[in-house]
Amino acid sequence: MGTNLKKDAWMRFITIGVIAIAVVAPFILYNLYLLNVLSLMLIFIIFASAWNLLAYSGQGSLGHAAFFGIGAYASTLIAVKSGISPYVTIFLGAAVAAFVGVLIGLTCVRLKEWFLAMVTFGFAIIVQTITVSILTPVTGGWDGIASPRLLSPDIMGYQLIEYYSILIITIASIVFIWYIMKSRIGLAFSAIRENELEARAAGVDPVRYRLLAFALSAYIAGIAGALEIHHIGYITPEIFGVDLSFWPITYVIFGGLGTLAGPIVGTIVLTIIWDGLKMFNLTFGRYIIVGVLLILVIIFLPKGLVDLPDRLQRWWKGRKQKYAAPAPVKE
Amino acid sequence: MDIGILLQILFWGIYAGCIYILLATGLNLIFGVMKIVNFAHGEFLMIGAYITATIFYFTGINPYVIILFSMLALIAIGAVVERLCFRPILGTGKLNEIFISIGLMYIIQNGAAVIWGDEWQSVKSPYEGITVPLGPLTIPLDYIIIMVVTAAILCGLYLFLRETKTGREMRATSQNRKGAMLVGINVERIDVLSFGIGCALAAAAGTLWVVSGQVFNPYMGSIPAVKAFAIIILGGLGSIPGAIIGGLLYGIAENGAAYFLGGVWKDAISFIILIIVLVIRPTGLFGESGE
Repeated sequence: MGTNLKKDAWMRFITIGVIAIAVVAPFILYNLYLLNVLSLMLIFIIFASAWNLLAYSGQGSLGHAAFFGIGAYASTLIAVKSGISPYVTIFLGAAVAAFVGVLIGLTCVRLKEWFLAMVTFGFAIIVQTITVSILTPVTGGWDGIASPRLLSPDIMGYQLIEYYSILIITIASIVFIWYIMKSRIGLAFSAIRENELEARAAGVDPVRYRLLAFALSAYIAGIAGALEIHHIGYITPEIFGVDLSFWPITYVIFGGLGTLAGPIVGTIVLTIIWDGLKMFNLTFGRYIIVGVLLILVIIFLPKGLVDLPDRLQRWWKGRKQKYAAPAPVKE
Repeated sequence: MDIGILLQILFWGIYAGCIYILLATGLNLIFGVMKIVNFAHGEFLMIGAYITATIFYFTGINPYVIILFSMLALIAIGAVVERLCFRPILGTGKLNEIFISIGLMYIIQNGAAVIWGDEWQSVKSPYEGITVPLGPLTIPLDYIIIMVVTAAILCGLYLFLRETKTGREMRATSQNRKGAMLVGINVERIDVLSFGIGCALAAAAGTLWVVSGQVFNPYMGSIPAVKAFAIIILGGLGSIPGAIIGGLLYGIAENGAAYFLGGVWKDAISFIILIIVLVIRPTGLFGESGE
């Protein structure tokens, strides 16, 4: 109990520290390129957290770019057709993504984990195909369409306001996910993930909660997608590509699957590595390095980077006890 | 409706199906023995394609002969990948295998891009332009050779699994791993071997891909691999006849869709079929329990 309290205090301290750094970062960096990197990093924290929420309920998706893209397209189209501010349409577009998420969830709820991965992967391809064929009149086909900026570039310091808007939405999303994970819904999610039969015996309806997980995850992913596109100002069907489906997975596995901090840590660390390697002019090498790191983390650190402090602590304790007494076996 | 066009689509479908059959059979072998899901299987197809193209470029040997070199090389590469990446996580859950595959995809695709560049390439077959008239159709000679080669490889695999001691050990391991261990089969050796043979089949598929004159680049493998998975889900896990029927079906459906709906639907149609089948039967067409 005592150590738990200490850990909680630590977590609070780190959380406040990270937020404080995020708030003052633009003034320290004072560099528009890096500010853009930071904004995209925040958006990917939202995206990775959305994927993580789905994984928390025991479902893995290989096609989350579908929801990312649907949120982005829907928000763009609503903003273009109605003239409403992107600040509002982000949430409307995400609702469309959530609706589609429920539809695909309905086909998936009965499937085993890797059948599900297949269906979601295929789903992203189907959505992309529809976007460039039937929906071409509204989506502009492969050429894409311009998307309204979050803020007009005429406003003084619009990059800063945009950054803080994204930061606020990121924090709100994470608090929302934290709230869900702590609530009865989150308990139900982990019950289904650990043992579906027992969950059912305890009165948890797996189908309902799986659909809910799909809807929530798709909604948050949709917000991330809409934010990114309104930040960049242009959208093409490339958004449904395999690359964008795999990035959130990479971030989450790197940081720690099924933990609140995992996606955040993973996204921050990998963004630093990724943009740090840019200096060495490695076009393909960067991917190779990320791939090697990913495999090393999966094999040697199955709970991700967030587990590293605990692992080190255990290793340290084990080393000290090695000569004194046999170390108690944990887990 | 012109019967000639229908036949043409059917024939193209069978030819495209050959590549899927080889990929799906390899996956099936790996899944059957090790029970792992390797989403990076298409990357071995891609490496096989590049090895063939490179040897062909430098020596000019008939590409249908290079298929053997390519398969041998991929047995070695597959064994290394199995040993380094998949064995440490064996039995830790299906999702972990998928995540490892994603890491492998990053590494292999971009490794190939470093070595061979990321532009689309193609190779001219020595028999290019030679066609065989067959009823209302004129069929490129290459397509016929490809079908024959596929059939020969499948027969070879069948005989290997049926008649040799190692083949019997593989089948035993896939039926019951623990039982196989009990009767003294070295299952880890069987794992390496079946992964290697699976990769070799992918290399054969890659070689046929190249020989048929289709373009290739380092990122070409992922979609055929996922389709191969769709095929083994449809055809039943571990069932080689299922993989053959599924592969042919997919080849024909795709070429039909490309003709009637337009080329963009070529990939989407396979996944639409998969989703429809899984909605009706969550365990696959011939699957028992799915796992």
